[in-house]
Amino acid sequence: MHPMRQSAKPFTLAGDRAAYRRILILPALMLVLNVCALAPRAANAQDMAGYHSYDQMTAALKDLVRQNPEWARLESTGKTLEGRDIWMLELGSQKGSPMAERPALLVAANFEGNQLATSELALRMARHLLENHGSDAGIHQSLVDHVYYIFPRVNPDGAEKMFAPVQTGSATNTYAFDDDNDGRTDEDGPEDLNGDGMITLMRVLDPNGEYMIDPADERLMKKADPKKGESGTYSLYWEGTDNDNDGFYNEDAAGGVDINRNFQHEYPYYQRGAGPHMVSERESRAIMDFTIAHRNIAMVLTLGPNDNLISAPNNKGELAKAAGVDLFSFADASMADASTVGMVTIQTNRFFRGGFGRGGNSSSNSGGGGRRPATTVNNADLEYFTTVSKQYGELTGIKNAPALSKPEGAFFQYAYYQYGVPSFSTPGWGLTAAKADSTADDKPRGRGGSSSDASFDKKLADWMDGAGVDGLVAWTAYDHPSLGNVEIGGFKPFDAVNPPASVLDEMGPKNAAFAQYLTTLFADVRIAKTEVINHGGGVFRIKAEVENAGFLPTSTAHGVTSRSVKPTMVQLGIDPADLLSGSAKTSFFQALDGSGNRESYEWLIKGKRGDTIELKVVAQKGGSDTASITLQ
Amino acid sequence: MNVMNRFSNLILACVGLALVGLPLATPSRAQQASDPQHTLRIDFNRWHDYDELQVDLKKMADTWPDFLTYSSLGKSYGGRDITMMTINNPKTGPEMSKPAMYIEANVHGNEIQGAEVSLYTIWYLMENYGKKEMITRLVDERVFYIIPTVNPDGRQYFFEDMGSGARTGHVPVDDDNDGLYDEDPPNDLNGNGIREQMRKYVPGEGNYRISHDDPRMMEPVPAGEKGDYILLGSEGIDDDGDGRIDEDGPGGYDPNRNWAADWQPNYIQGGSMDYPFQLPTARAINDFLMSHPNIAGVQSYHNSGGMILRGPGAEWQGSYPREDIAVYDILGKNGERMIPYYDYIVIWSGLYTVHGGFIDWTNDGLGIISFSNELWNGGQYYNSPKLQEQQRDADSPIAGQKGSFFFDDYLEFGSQYSEWTEFEHPEYGTVELGGWDKMRGRIPPRFMNEELSHRNMAFTLYQADQMPKMSIHTPVVEKVGDDVYRVRVDIENDRVAPTITQRAAENNVVDPDLLKISGRNVEVISAGWVGNKFTPGATQLIDQHDLSRIMIRNGHPGNTVRTVEYLVRGSGDVTIAYESQKGGSVSTQARLR
Repeated sequence: MHPMRQSAKPFTLAGDRAAYRRILILPALMLVLNVCALAPRAANAQDMAGYHSYDQMTAALKDLVRQNPEWARLESTGKTLEGRDIWMLELGSQKGSPMAERPALLVAANFEGNQLATSELALRMARHLLENHGSDAGIHQSLVDHVYYIFPRVNPDGAEKMFAPVQTGSATNTYAFDDDNDGRTDEDGPEDLNGDGMITLMRVLDPNGEYMIDPADERLMKKADPKKGESGTYSLYWEGTDNDNDGFYNEDAAGGVDINRNFQHEYPYYQRGAGPHMVSERESRAIMDFTIAHRNIAMVLTLGPNDNLISAPNNKGELAKAAGVDLFSFADASMADASTVGMVTIQTNRFFRGGFGRGGNSSSNSGGGGRRPATTVNNADLEYFTTVSKQYGELTGIKNAPALSKPEGAFFQYAYYQYGVPSFSTPGWGLTAAKADSTADDKPRGRGGSSSDASFDKKLADWMDGAGVDGLVAWTAYDHPSLGNVEIGGFKPFDAVNPPASVLDEMGPKNAAFAQYLTTLFADVRIAKTEVINHGGGVFRIKAEVENAGFLPTSTAHGVTSRSVKPTMVQLGIDPADLLSGSAKTSFFQALDGSGNRESYEWLIKGKRGDTIELKVVAQKGGSDTASITLQ
Repeated sequence: MNVMNRFSNLILACVGLALVGLPLATPSRAQQASDPQHTLRIDFNRWHDYDELQVDLKKMADTWPDFLTYSSLGKSYGGRDITMMTINNPKTGPEMSKPAMYIEANVHGNEIQGAEVSLYTIWYLMENYGKKEMITRLVDERVFYIIPTVNPDGRQYFFEDMGSGARTGHVPVDDDNDGLYDEDPPNDLNGNGIREQMRKYVPGEGNYRISHDDPRMMEPVPAGEKGDYILLGSEGIDDDGDGRIDEDGPGGYDPNRNWAADWQPNYIQGGSMDYPFQLPTARAINDFLMSHPNIAGVQSYHNSGGMILRGPGAEWQGSYPREDIAVYDILGKNGERMIPYYDYIVIWSGLYTVHGGFIDWTNDGLGIISFSNELWNGGQYYNSPKLQEQQRDADSPIAGQKGSFFFDDYLEFGSQYSEWTEFEHPEYGTVELGGWDKMRGRIPPRFMNEELSHRNMAFTLYQADQMPKMSIHTPVVEKVGDDVYRVRVDIENDRVAPTITQRAAENNVVDPDLLKISGRNVEVISAGWVGNKFTPGATQLIDQHDLSRIMIRNGHPGNTVRTVEYLVRGSGDVTIAYESQKGGSVSTQARLR
């Protein structure tokens, strides 16, 4: 996976790099556009009813702003490689305190291009908040006191691939990347061999294969377990041919970088989809630059295949293990070795042997290796996470998560571990029957039902059966040019991770209610009390108490540890020369718990009756307050 | 003009003419009575501020336009160009076809002398092209990218302002959390252009006293005694009226912690900013590096301490693969022999822990052999064993702090020390300002800089010379039967560094080398590596699908010949080529008969 593809071209200036990439991209873009013009519909249009393409999403966002000019504002935070805007929808009353001084909730969705449902949920959340602020006092107050920054579609180029004539299910953006580092870029993508408009799997009878048909559900495959006397009879691949004749199938598809594997916490260095380095992509840079420029963001909610809401972190602060679609991991495994081909081990005719002296192993100090970054939720913050998770369950009723992935380099993890604010993630919907009138529990109604130890794929297939989703392509014979007789089938790329729009229509408002609930938790710092005592001789004593009337502390414990949340500043607006004794002109406290906890200050100053002095308190995540104190 | 001068000019003209026609011409053997005149004179015994650097760079680009290209990689936050000199002889091939050595300096604003080393390197290569055989060969075989200052704002602040000790660049950071940015910098209170120390006379209440050895020296009072002075830090006032002094100066980060290998957040690695390449300078440089995969060597000059550093920067990164260590050791240990007072050291074990440092990124993320020299070692003030022994004798006039004053008095003629003078400070009342000049300590005395520049350049040129260089020998063809032939060919890298480091191969950050065979009527039956071509033995077959394009993911080691053996069916000519991003591309032909 070499970071740069355009290696052999001579450049003299750094700027040439982007220009060259444009040259590569343009013809590809035109091709895509032409194809779209001929077949202007998504692969499985009926399943995608109610889902918004980029243009439709843009129009929907603009409509919301047009209809609610005093409550909503749309901003482009950057452009993608293909020229799409990375939209940020700001929700909040334009009247009242400046947005930058209000505690904010950042909501971001659709980092993974294939996770369209999350984008739809974000749109429906915004719509629900805007449509109900007149009738719902809680929503109204939330929009007056706070601000929502909503990124409904962080990866619009990736999302748009789901609207192409052939759906690949790829999560990445379209940055050209040599996934298998073989010196060729994007040269071996999948092909829709059976012409059904989507990429599914191929299974091939293979005595050396590792997989077998799942006895619990013949539509699915499982890894044979020799310890149980099972032996594999099949190999599995993504649908397509070996375009570059390297013996691997579809190991270097067009694109790209998985934006939610591109952030700074537990970044999966040099792994597939992670990009050349942290925050390498336009999309990740756009949301990162926005986030660090808006330090009033006091909480983050991302919608995607990571979760700490359906299942809260455990008592050690660890996230539950993420279960994904097994079939997809099996197909991915078939190309894992592509990026290790060509390691030469032969040792021949060395002219010399290098010494292994002090350069490598000797060391003049044996230091402990230094402090390591935290990777579990700080014990002091944990209860806030479990409280919020519990509330999420109550508001949404979701018990079983859809497919999840390991949150390596995920944005929401960055937001807690480095930005220092409470941060949550969830797919926003669950594997629960969609119909409100059904027995809507977690018991699937599919063939035979699935027990709790059933594979994730079995649970997903059963949910599809119950929800009336036609989400599996039946295995059908196909004569493959190099593999011979294969069968093509398995989960459809869209349906495996996106529910019918009816589910979203139901879950949108529930997630909106949750978002609004989150804003009620913000720290809320105010000057609770001031008092002036005149000691005579031009000497006055000022006392003040600062209170956090919100629920959350002014900083998480980890925000203090990571020094990423500014201490709350308390400043008395006087000339330092007039300060006689007591507190400093400018004081700070690291964190103050909520629910009415207070800090006290006391200054002795020189002044005269009638002077007015301003006292100011500024909490980065908990608002600000001022008080005018008149000496008398 | 006298006869001698005319004569030497004539020689220069001849050499110049020869160069135009014959880039590989060996130097003239004609000897002269004295050194030839330099084509261009540049001062290496004075320090160049940012603008002066540009003047000299332009002068050189104008003097040697056939080789030098002066360009900008982008702008610093303060709007200054990050300027680069490319040295390339276009007659020996385009830039990207040749392995390149990348040289930068001054990432920390106050570590200035690397820019002079950079200037010296450009100048030396150009002055000696066509005169010294090895220099001529280096310039013909390699490309050099040289950036004298990668922190133009920091450099300029050091020169014209109060930047003594300021490593940072000038992207504003709110160091004191008050919502204001860079609002309380150090101040030049007495306007003498020097950032001095402040001391206050507090008879009997202080913890410092004037030394009995030398009235200019301050020393802490021994336990149980009372001093007459307290030290109040560097020159400054409370600019923002918040009751604190100098608590939020320009910038406030470390530009050498903003790189993408083992990058860590601020609480683990101070000064790292919010994410890698957030700083405009780091980003511009990384964009350049990533679009130039021909770069096979990196040197980033810092100061000080006398070190030849390599990564890793942190113990938890684990040690480098042993193959890579072997290469670094050869280069680093020869470096120690070339630069006295410098030690070859691993950053974390010999200096301190660094996360997100530049050469960790270039080694791990870009697969480039990378060093960082810490220019100037304080031991060089008294650089003979005899004097150093004398320094250990406390009564000697050059022992400890006294040595600094002795050196200033007799070798710098008293120019680097400012006597204490009174100043009426708005917050502290009457104080005294004085102390050492910013040019002293981490920066060599001016008269010693040419030697520093030359020795460090020599090490870097040695590294550049030992970047990989591929060659391919004449194939040996043997008829096996009918139209089947065995073709053996030796492939060689005769330099120390491999075409792809082991770490680069593990991380998949350098394109694999490619071994290609082609011919109109040629079908490859098998390909394999020959263990030892002089003795019989098994051949290690290459298990790849496409044998006409064999990938060698971990490249070709240094100082190694490998023999590849093909069994082919066909007739006519075959071409065998070896293509390497960092080692160059070569090919040879054979006829099947």
